[in-house]
Amino acid sequence: MNSITVGARAIELDKDGFLVDLSDWSAEVASALAAAEDIELTPEHWEVLELLRSFYAEFQLSPATRPLIKYTALRLGADKGNSLHLNRLFKGTPAKLAAKLAGLPKPTNCL
Amino acid sequence: MAKSLLIISRQSPWSGPGAREALDIVLAGGAFDLPIGLLFLDDGVLQLAAGQNARAVQQKDLSANLQALPMFGVEELFYCAESANARGLGKLSLDEAQPLAAEHITALIDRYDQVITL
Amino acid sequence: MSTLHVLSHSPYGDDRLSSCLRLLGSADAVLLSGDAVYALQPDTVPFSTLQERAIRLFVLIEDAQARAIEIPDWAKAIDYPAFVELSIHHAKVNSWL
Repeated sequence: MNSITVGARAIELDKDGFLVDLSDWSAEVASALAAAEDIELTPEHWEVLELLRSFYAEFQLSPATRPLIKYTALRLGADKGNSLHLNRLFKGTPAKLAAKLAGLPKPTNCL
Repeated sequence: MAKSLLIISRQSPWSGPGAREALDIVLAGGAFDLPIGLLFLDDGVLQLAAGQNARAVQQKDLSANLQALPMFGVEELFYCAESANARGLGKLSLDEAQPLAAEHITALIDRYDQVITL
Repeated sequence: MSTLHVLSHSPYGDDRLSSCLRLLGSADAVLLSGDAVYALQPDTVPFSTLQERAIRLFVLIEDAQARAIEIPDWAKAIDYPAFVELSIHHAKVNSWL
């Protein structure tokens, strides 16, 4: 079984590195997951992660790329809600990687 | 030009996988940027009832998922007015869905290149 | 623009047939297959409804034969090759799954 150690705890991950138990998520877990992807979370990352968590709370699903961009544009404006910005922050796969770091299930229909 | 697709969802939300499958097709189509429409017909209109509680039966929240349709680029949302009336539906949970009378549904089906009824 | 509506569920205790008839366009046709052929059981509501509506109605002959359903002269019996033919002569096919 895949896992990541945060503090003294081993957090269980699935084969793609997503949390098995979504309630394990915390800011520390997010940072540890990001570090495993060679990403240091900046305020720009955090605002997207928070946005994803609010998307999930509202719609009970993880957004694919297009809805993520649309939702980000709606909430944070067009200068952040575009693929260039999101791809830069999340290594070219924003829907998948940002969902992972935000503690969401793996997006289905993820293209 | 991509072919347009109309999904007709006519299963109630709690009776089986039909309602979920119809929504999955629509979300996938939206992610592919297909011109896509969704029509709720017959018991399918029950998916739009306000105040449903998925947690009571430990299931995924289909109503919450439906709210995401405009985010997925699916703006063409309709329901059969007659089906809704026959089932006593008052307030609906999806503001974007427009009621259609039977003859307008005939015209709607005509307008799309392909139709899938689930 | 025309649609071929394909029904395959029994019309008893199911509203696919009645909803289909409600939404049927003037250029559309209906094909009864599988258990939907039970709509042609004489002296039933589906039978008389279909007879009165006088729509373009097709019936898959082998499904009717298997179920001991006689095809009335106001419906057209077809086999699978004719079903394929019929499908391509309509702009689209709507299968009521």
